Amino acid sequence: MKDSLNNKCFIQAGSAISPQATFDSDDWSRQLIASDTNRMECIEPAYAAFIAPNSLRRMSRLLKMGLTTAMKCLQEAGITVPGAIITGTGKGSLQDTERFLKNIEEYSERALNPTPFIQSTYNAINGLIALQQQCTRYNNTFVNRGFSFENAMLDSLLYLREHPAETVLLGAFEEMTAEHFFIKERAGYWKPGVNNLNFLQQGNTPGSIAGEGTAYFCLSNQQDSSSLARLRDVEMLYKPGAEKLRSSLQQFLSSNELKVEDISLLLSGENGDARFQQYYDAVEAALGEVPKLPYKVFCGEYDTSTAFATWMASKLMGSGETPLTVSNLLTKPYTSLQNILIYNNYMGDQHSFILIQKA
Amino acid sequence: MEESVYITGIGMMTAIGDSVAENFDSLCQLKSGLGFTNYVETIHRDVLPVAEVKHGTGALANMLGIEHHTGLTRTSLLGMIALKDALSSAGIDDTAGLGLINASTVGGMCDTEKVYFDIINPAKTGDFLDYIDTLDCADCTQQLADFFHLDGTLATISTACSSSANALIFGARLVKSGQVDKIICGGTEALTRFTINGFNSLKNIDKQPCKPFDQQRNGLNLGEGAAYLVLESAASMEKRGAKALAVLSGYCNTNEAFHPTSPSPEGDGAFTAMQEALLMAGKKLDEVGYINVHGTATLNNDISEGRALERLFGSDVPAFSSTKPFTGHTLAAAGAIEAIFSILAIRHQVFFPNMNFSERMEELSISPGTELLHNFPVNNVISNSFGFGGNNASLVISKAP
Repeated sequence: MKDSLNNKCFIQAGSAISPQATFDSDDWSRQLIASDTNRMECIEPAYAAFIAPNSLRRMSRLLKMGLTTAMKCLQEAGITVPGAIITGTGKGSLQDTERFLKNIEEYSERALNPTPFIQSTYNAINGLIALQQQCTRYNNTFVNRGFSFENAMLDSLLYLREHPAETVLLGAFEEMTAEHFFIKERAGYWKPGVNNLNFLQQGNTPGSIAGEGTAYFCLSNQQDSSSLARLRDVEMLYKPGAEKLRSSLQQFLSSNELKVEDISLLLSGENGDARFQQYYDAVEAALGEVPKLPYKVFCGEYDTSTAFATWMASKLMGSGETPLTVSNLLTKPYTSLQNILIYNNYMGDQHSFILIQKA
Repeated sequence: MEESVYITGIGMMTAIGDSVAENFDSLCQLKSGLGFTNYVETIHRDVLPVAEVKHGTGALANMLGIEHHTGLTRTSLLGMIALKDALSSAGIDDTAGLGLINASTVGGMCDTEKVYFDIINPAKTGDFLDYIDTLDCADCTQQLADFFHLDGTLATISTACSSSANALIFGARLVKSGQVDKIICGGTEALTRFTINGFNSLKNIDKQPCKPFDQQRNGLNLGEGAAYLVLESAASMEKRGAKALAVLSGYCNTNEAFHPTSPSPEGDGAFTAMQEALLMAGKKLDEVGYINVHGTATLNNDISEGRALERLFGSDVPAFSSTKPFTGHTLAAAGAIEAIFSILAIRHQVFFPNMNFSERMEELSISPGTELLHNFPVNNVISNSFGFGGNNASLVISKAP
């Protein structure tokens, strides 16, 4: 069994574009926005403050969202050039992939515009951030469905251990398009006729609610007064089964010198899909009385939803308060936030634990 | 003192062979894999040369003893054959706890693109729905993990043409930090209409066999293939009585921060990547016997990579060659394929020539080696992989102790 990474890794800033008002204000903490359908869509900010107009014109939606979230995060942390840029995405820019597929068909492979091809590349956003900030150091992009963000997080923890004096820009980005929503609908991903306020109440049927979002974090080895939280550890389990999941949780906690009762809050990725509820039940049972918050009510289901959960955990730790939208959804109130555990599984295959501690 | 990372298994499948042994034979017989596609539906099929694996998707499945292969993409099947070769080379039967760091640029696009317009048409149903989840890059990784019962660390990296070099770097760091004692790293890539048209729209594809580092070079040829390497700690190797084929002694990942699809003219990112990889390996410039260059034969790559070589090595640039005229540019798989060629160069003391070269570039004072050389003394190789998004990666591979 591997040791805990046990890094000194502090979240110095976090920014997120999500289906809630998370980017320009703290309104997400006062009001939960209800979706009209079983597809939650991001509230997009004004991009002009972050991206020059001539660049903005050429960029597709996810590139704008990803780059803007990264810029905001760096601004908040007061960092111009991070030591490393490490991101995760399950699907990259779907809009560009779809556009290039259609252009090939429509123009019979002749005189194609290369822009959607270039922007469909999974590392395109990383390249743009590096270009805009002139960051010539380490740069990596992970693309493994429900492990994409977790892999990027693991890479960030390793990087900070190898380069203690540097900072890391860690991020995740995901979009849902109408076309991809339909494809996933055919594959049985969505629950018909629900919204984000009621999808969890229909837990005896398959399917969930579609979501999307971007989140970026500035990480540093050095704690200071602006540190929001400490990113302690991350663990990934591929198709573990309920029993291995339970034992791995115990090992994860003990390798970080924690007991079940040290966990102040569980951010649960439960998504209302009857096929995967057994895993969430197993983790909850192992945690006993720990208060629980089902975070996908805020952001919906997508490959890198744990990036939103990490953003929320760092905000809750940083502010020390319990927002109204959070207390309304908690299974029971928490007292003080010392350790937040995030547990998620993506379509029952990729399971992950993320541990966020008070700085 | 950092833990050394040993390479204890290698496996591959490319247009020049179904295994490492076949690839080595083809290299030594100067047999190029370039030709025209049999399996991609494209108007460019008789115009743009590609290095395609010489088996249909059904035949690939048969090679693995898989009867029913609906839902399994060519990307996954190429990967499975290469990974099987790697496990057998490493002498690994029990894969419990073993992980995989995979690399891909377009995942299962090769098969998805054939049925995409059916998938998005509500009026159509059929077998094609089995390919609904194969579009992303995780699909092939999961198929490989499931086929070989790999339940350890699982990751997929997509940094364009440097993807599998970065998979090796990530795997090496996991071994060094003690997170794993051994891990499989590499990548798989199948030819697609999507990428052929992508690179063609960038006017980056040569209608002739590519000519890396030649004054008359006119672009790359795409290829397909897969390659995997088993990275392992000394302790794990000792425990199971495994032998090292080579050492992954140094590596570096940098970014050009210059342009989405072009490297900086002076090759700043390539220069730093090679320099720092050598520094980590603890090797001096004159200890490098061979450089397997990225050498795509595009106008921009070869200028900036060549300038980086001249800047780093001055007047003593080691023997170098691009092996892309053999395999084509296999994108996400290129880094792992060329890492294995680097190991073969060391183990057999052989220099693989840069085919199709005749005229030195006017911007450079160096030119690649053009003759196959046996008894060629080489103990350390630099293998370069540079990609879109400014992603650069250099590896240093050294002779096993």
